[in-house]
Order: sequence, then structure tokens, then C-alpha cells
Amino acid sequence: MQDGQEFGPWLGRQLRRQNMSQAELAERLGLTRAAVSAWITGRAQPRAEMVRDIASVLGTDIATVHNRTTDAVTARPVRWYHRPAHADGGREFGNAAAFAFDADLAVLAREATQNSLDERLDTTQPVRVRFTLHELSGEHLSSFLSALKWEQLEAHYEAASESRQKVGRVLAEGLREMQETNSLLLLRVDDYNASGLTGPEYEDGRFAAVVRRQLDSHKSSDRAGGSYGLGKATLWATSRLGLVLINSTLSESHEGRTTRRLVGRLDLPWREVNGSPYAGPAWLGEADTEKDFEGVSRSWWADEKTASELWLERESAAPGTSFLIVGAHDAAGDADSLQEMHDKLSAALADNFWAAMTAGSSANAMLEASVCTMRNGSLVIPERRVDPRERHSALVRALRAYLDHETVPELTASEEVAYARVPLVVPPLRNTGRQAKGVEHQAVLLVTSADDEDQQHSRLVCMRGSRMTVMTRRPRDLGIGVDPFQAVLLAGYATGEGTEDVHAAEAFLRASEPPEHDRWGTTDELTATYPGASRRLTEFRAAMDSALREIVGRRPTRDVRGPEVLRTLLRLDIPASGGGRRADGHPVVRSVEGEVDAAGAWSLRVFLKIPPREDPWLLTPVAKFDVRSGGRPTLSWSELTAVENCRIVDGVVVIDPEVRSAAFGGVTAVGSHPVSATMAGVTVDIQKARGASA
Amino acid sequence: MNTLFPYPTLVGEIEVRVKQVRIDGKPLSLSVVSRPQRAVALHQVERPNWEDGSIDLEVTLPELELADGPWSEVACVAILTEGSTNTRVVRRLQRDRLSSTWSGSVPVLRAMHRDRATLNVSAVATVGGVAGRTIGTADEAWIIDLLARTPVRQREIEIAEADFRDGPQEWLRPFKDAPWLVETAGEMPTILLNSSFEGITQLLKGSGNPLEKAASGLVAAQIAGEAWTAMFHSAVADLELDDDGAPLIPSGWRESVLRTMLPDVLPGLALADALIEVHNRHAAGYGWAELQSQIHFAASRRAQVPKNLTTAVRAITRSQEGATR
Repeated sequence: MQDGQEFGPWLGRQLRRQNMSQAELAERLGLTRAAVSAWITGRAQPRAEMVRDIASVLGTDIATVHNRTTDAVTARPVRWYHRPAHADGGREFGNAAAFAFDADLAVLAREATQNSLDERLDTTQPVRVRFTLHELSGEHLSSFLSALKWEQLEAHYEAASESRQKVGRVLAEGLREMQETNSLLLLRVDDYNASGLTGPEYEDGRFAAVVRRQLDSHKSSDRAGGSYGLGKATLWATSRLGLVLINSTLSESHEGRTTRRLVGRLDLPWREVNGSPYAGPAWLGEADTEKDFEGVSRSWWADEKTASELWLERESAAPGTSFLIVGAHDAAGDADSLQEMHDKLSAALADNFWAAMTAGSSANAMLEASVCTMRNGSLVIPERRVDPRERHSALVRALRAYLDHETVPELTASEEVAYARVPLVVPPLRNTGRQAKGVEHQAVLLVTSADDEDQQHSRLVCMRGSRMTVMTRRPRDLGIGVDPFQAVLLAGYATGEGTEDVHAAEAFLRASEPPEHDRWGTTDELTATYPGASRRLTEFRAAMDSALREIVGRRPTRDVRGPEVLRTLLRLDIPASGGGRRADGHPVVRSVEGEVDAAGAWSLRVFLKIPPREDPWLLTPVAKFDVRSGGRPTLSWSELTAVENCRIVDGVVVIDPEVRSAAFGGVTAVGSHPVSATMAGVTVDIQKARGASA
Repeated sequence: MNTLFPYPTLVGEIEVRVKQVRIDGKPLSLSVVSRPQRAVALHQVERPNWEDGSIDLEVTLPELELADGPWSEVACVAILTEGSTNTRVVRRLQRDRLSSTWSGSVPVLRAMHRDRATLNVSAVATVGGVAGRTIGTADEAWIIDLLARTPVRQREIEIAEADFRDGPQEWLRPFKDAPWLVETAGEMPTILLNSSFEGITQLLKGSGNPLEKAASGLVAAQIAGEAWTAMFHSAVADLELDDDGAPLIPSGWRESVLRTMLPDVLPGLALADALIEVHNRHAAGYGWAELQSQIHFAASRRAQVPKNLTTAVRAITRSQEGATR
């Protein structure tokens, strides 16, 4: 009975589901209404024989009443409920929140994973996030669609896609593609060790924030990444059909239950079907029996079969949520094939969450992420953990050294990680009065040498919260000639500390972020909450640069280099001024091939690059043995032969006018070799033939 | 110029990274190492009299190519050389089986070097029964500069102030009336500005009104022109010869000077041909006088004499206009 719900709430729900009042039940059991009420409010429990009677009244068996893991009548129909149009005639042709981001897979990976991180349950363990791409076609597609009750949606889709608004066009394209290819792409995002969608159906809580509301940032702690409640809209934006199904295992029971809370939500523009107008959203669920929400589809506690038919079954009982994006696509358009989408997701996870995925030797990572790809229920690309070191090894090294307390104050070896503190003065809140003082937060700066393969380097990655990257900025005034480096700035909770200044800094920086959470700058919220905030941010940036300069900057040289005006005229490394030199005005040796022949002579083939001109070129080839120091011995030719575009006249290679490339062969005279040819390298030069008119 | 060997050599690249630098056992800040420039600066203001330095290297060889190729007993060596002291230090590097890189440490003994050493890495193997053959060398050597404080590859011509009349350097006394002197005999050409010549240093730092700037530019152009001429002569006089008497392209600043000036001195000739021509004229003496105007032209072009003169003329004209108004 451990999964079972409390008897009272369970019975209450059964009565509502059967439209039976407490009085009615009391009458059929031959009791007073007060007795039934006592059960429902939990003041009393029915005796064993009474349980049998209750079961028969509810039309179920005794075990169901005993266990209370399912509802007495599971077969309340699951159906789509479409919100009727607004009474005032207003029409919405799309969900504005969905346009706040691009419907790019990379953005989805970032937003969805950030939400999972924010809902991490056991903070000593990583939250596990898995992205599964799943392509359905043929038989698999039709059984999925029938589980989805597609027949209740078709008319709405048709009506909505006729709209000439943007959302309508996307829908039309999605429907057309599904019909033409007879296939549908599902993208499932699972998290484990997360809170799950807890809370009541309509009132404040995680469930309502995701399923029922827009722009509700229901964050469970002040450590959260976002603050606008926009991130979840990317789930719907990624679906061409505006359709997302959800299965959540709750961390706190709701209606006495935790497992398989299913619901579907569809975002369509305003439409008219069979003469009745509908506003945007629709929900898949059981028809509600509560008076205020009669007829609205609400989340239901599904059985295993339903969940698997909808590809929503979760792999373990660990709490968390599975989102199934139906008709997923990459609006950026740069990932079409399954492999490309798979790779793009992996790359986006590594790029955005390398820090959260980095573990120390004693500290667990905050996040484990993986990606896998399936087609019709079988694996195409097996599940693979995203390893942050593959794409960001130097950055991961920096963070790991910090977690393991292995940083150094000054870099002396290329694997080392330097550590410094960067002060941020958080001004007092406006409403705390004039006397309040700001607090100083010490952000952490980590610097290490860039790896050779790092494509992006010499930037400062700024993070806060659950080590999410807010921005990557180019530091200023580092001085010239700084070697490539990787630097991370950890501010607020990202430092892993918990002092008061950390809370203040976190709140301050979060307030400074725009909805994209991609920079620390002046926002309405910031200026409204903190006086002098903009100046503090400027100081913060300057402090970052100066701390970085301390670590990577070159030491200043004594200025003995003389007056600038003279120095610029004496630079050795720039070509002559105004000498717009024609590239390669002379024949050059492009390559030489050859081997030592049986007689011990070098047999060479020389390929020349020739600038075309109207006169012939007359060239003398010169072969020499290459030696480490001193004069190189010159070899004489025993034979010169023309190979391409040239003639040999008296040991001179004559190249005809207007030729661009030429080749000749040559064999050295063994008698001119000071050592055996097998013991020396050979080089070939060409010189202007002596006495010839160039 | 690519050299052809009578045995198979590596096509893949050899990558060299400097991991750590120490002097007298103390690790130095990584800011003395520049990876893009491949240079290490060893001079420490805080520790000018160090004796014993070392450079830790990590080298990646084209392992796949090595595994499939005809080479056996492959070794990887680091070679530290300095031409002026004829120093040559060779150290074997050890292969790390896990990371398949080669690493080791090369000693830099202060007493064995003058100012700039070159560090390169070669792969050596047995090929065709002959042991110890070089089968590959890193494309670009590292520069170990014992006198520099910042790791830069390209050195600058030195400009120094000295008191010609009363300074400690006796040999400058005879030149006490000269405002500057160009010296090209040393490792790097040096321009000495005579601080006892009143006003020269202030003039060169000239800022403020356009006339002062113009004068400063004009003087700088003249000094630079003389310097380029002197450097060219010095570079041509110092050429090393091959066995057949053909001059070799020198290294260091001489190479830069010849490469930038020869196209103006002998237009239309390839660098090697122009070098032979210049060398022949200088050595044999015929046609050397005729070349002087070309050298002068090339030098004044490098010193931007025309541009500075135009600026000066304009500044003077403008100041006169201002005066008459």
C-alpha cells in the first residue's frame, strides 16, 4: 500500500469523478453524511466490511479501495479540450513568448536543460537530462497518432493552418511534411532527480506554471537561472505542430500520487471549427468534474500502457519530467538529418553546460546530459553522455582545479590554473533607505592557457547561478602579445559559496540580465531596484579586466626603445612602403621529386611556377647537397631533360613565353658528389642564366 | 627551399609546445612564453645573475604516419643552438605512452650563451639500415632570448641615448659634434642619439604644434635613411658564401634588410639573383658605384623621406600663411 493515496482525498476524488455527492454515498451505505465526511477529511477510517460496501457502490473491487493506487473508474475518457474564444472577440494568432527565442535546437537544449537544473531535487547528486530524437513512420506513426487522439485535432489543425499568419504557415508546413513523408519527428526531453510538475491543476505551482500559464517563472529557489518564465515556451516553439506531451513523476505527491501525471498541451492560433471559435490553447486530459472547471481537460494519472503508447514511459521511478515535442524541427535550418540534429544537441549541451557537467574529485557535477536517437522504437545512435572535456577541455580544467582547490596565484606551467578574486560592489536596495550600505562580493576568476585546438579563446566566460554562461566577453586593455588563454568568472552562487554577499550578488546580476540572459547590463528592473547600478557594473567589468591583466599580461618592458617617430621608420618586419609588389615576379621551384638511381646519382624532377611574360625565361638549375653549416657543395649535371613547357639549350632551361608552369628532369654527375648521394639531402635552385638577357 | 632526402621522411607536422620555464629551479610566469611567436624571454629584472635555466617541452609527432612508415628506433630530440657561441645542446625526449606525446627538459646554461638561442625538435630514426637519420624537423624553431623581457620573435633596431661628450663610452668622444651615430657591427644595429647635442631628443619626441611635428618627422627620416643605408652596406659586406661562390641569404636582421631593400635596389630580379648580382658588384668592385644611387633610393623609401618632406613643406607653408594673415 505504499504507493497508495490517503483514503480521504482518494474517496473524495472518486465521488467527484462519479458525480456522486457525499450524501448520496451515505444514503447508499446506510450511514449519515457526517460519517462519510469524516472519512474524506481524514478524521476517521472505514471498517473492513464497510470498505467492501464502498467498493461495490463505486463499482470496483476491494483491492482498488485498499491500494488506492488507481482510480475506481480508470476509464474516464481522455480527450482534447479546446479553449473557447474570448467572450470579447479578441483573437491571438500565436503565443508571443514563443517568439522570444529562435526555435533553434541549440536554444531548446539550453532553455530546457536550464529549467531542469533549476529544479534539481537532491542537490548532492547531478540532475540527469536526456534528449531523445525519435523518428516515427508507417505503422508506428499511425498507432502513435491514434493514442494521441489525432482525430480530435485534425479539424483544428486544418482550420488553424489556413490562417495566413506566421504560426499558421509553420503549421501548414509541418502538416504537409508529415503527410508527404509519412513520418514525424519526436524530441523527448527527460530529466531525473528533478522536482517534477508538482502542485495543483490550476492554482500556483510548478504544474500550472508550465502547463496552464505563460510568463510564470515558478522558480523554487533564488538560485534559478531565469526569471522571466520564457524558457518553457521554447518547447512549444520547437514543435512545428505546437504540441507537447508531458509525463511527470512528482517529488511531492499530488492527490496522494506521484507517478505518471500525464497531460498534453497544444498551442494553436485562433480558429473556427464547425462554426464555433476557439482561442489558442488546447489540453489533452480527463474531463474535469469539479464545478468551476467542468469539461476542461486536466492531467490524469495514466497507466503504463497509455504512457508507452504515447512514448512517454519513464525509465525509472526517480522524480522528474518528460517532455515530448511532437513534430520537432530546427528552425535555424542547419540541422536536417537525424545525425545533424543529434550532433547539434550534443554540441549545444557541451557549449552551454560544460561547467554544470564538470565534477571535482569530491564534488559531484550538477548535471549529466546525454543524447540518443531512435527510429520506430529502435536505437539508431546509442545514448552517449556529453563529455564537456571534448569541446572545452581547457575551461573544464580551470573549473576542476577550482573545485579541487588546486589553483595557483601565478601561471608557470601550461596546465596550471590561476585564481584571483574580482570585487563586485552590490548597492543596497532602493527601498532600504539612505543609510543602508552595499556589500562587496568577491567573484572568482580562473585563468589557464588555451589548448591548441580551442577555436574560441582569449575570452572571459562569465557565469552565475548553477554555473550557466551568461556572457562571453572580450577583455579590454590586456596589452599586446598576450598568449591565447581561457578564463572563467564565477559570480554569485557559481562560486559555490553561501555567504550573504553571494545572495546579494546573485540577485543583483540576475536583475541585470535581459530575457535572453546573455549579458550583464542595465535593465528596467535593475535601475528600479538598485541605485547607481550601472556604475557598479562598469566597475565590475574593469575589475575583471585588471585581474585578468595581472595574470596573463606581459610585464612592461623598460621604455628604452627610443622615440616612436623614429622607431616606426626602422621596423624590420613590414614590406617596403608603397611597394605594391607583384606576387612572385620570378620563376620559383614549386616542388622537387626524385630518388637516388642505381648508379648512385640523384635523378630529379623539378616543377616550376612561372609568371607569364612575353619573353622567354632562361634559367640555370643548380643542385646542391644540403649541409648543416658552411658552404654547400654544388653538384654538376650529367643530364638535363625537358619534361613540360621547356627546352634544354646548353645546360640552360629555356621556357617559352606565356607559360605558367614548367617541369624538367635532371641527373647529377656522380663524379661531382663529395659524399655518396645516399648520405645527403639535395636542394635545387634556379638562377637566371648568366649572360642571358633577363 | 625544400630539401630532398635519399630516404623517406615525415610529411606530418611536428608540434612543439613549451610547457614550463625555470631558472635556478624557480618556475617563471608563463607570460615569458609566447606560443604564437614561438619565443621565450629569459631575462629577469629580479634575477639578472641566474646561471642555470631549463625549458620543459612537449612534442607531438605524426604518430599514425610513424606507425605505418618504414622507420624504426624512432627518437625525438630537442636541439638548442646558438650561432654566435657555437653552442649545440641535444636532449632526448621521452615518449609518454598514454598521451603519445614526447616530453623532456632542455638545459639553458647562462655561461654557454650570449643572447639568443634557437630551440628546435627533430625526429630521428633508423631508415634502410642507417641509424640516426633525421626524418623530420619542426617547421619553425623556438627563439630563446636571454636578454629580452618580453617574448617577441622579431627584434627591433635598438635606439639608445648616450652622452657622446662626457659619457662613460670613450670611443664616442671623437663624435661629440654628431647628433647621432648608426652602428651596424653588433648583433643588432644600434642608433645612438647624442644626448649632449642639445635639443635632439626633445625634437624627436616632438609633439604639439604642426611645425614641431614636421621637424621631428624630417629628422627621423634622415636618421632612418642613414640607418637603412648603413645596414644594407653592412649586410652585403658580411655575406657567407656557398662552395660555388654564390652568396647565402643571411639570417636575422640582415635577411630582413636585404629582403625589403633588394627589390628596390635591383628591380626585376629574384631575391637570389639580386643577391648574387649585389655580391659580385661589391666583391669585384665593378658597377658598385653605379649601385649607390639605387641603394640611396631604397633607403629613403624605407625611411619615408618623401612623405615626411611633404608634411614639412606643408606645415611651413601653412605657418607662413598664418603669419601673413
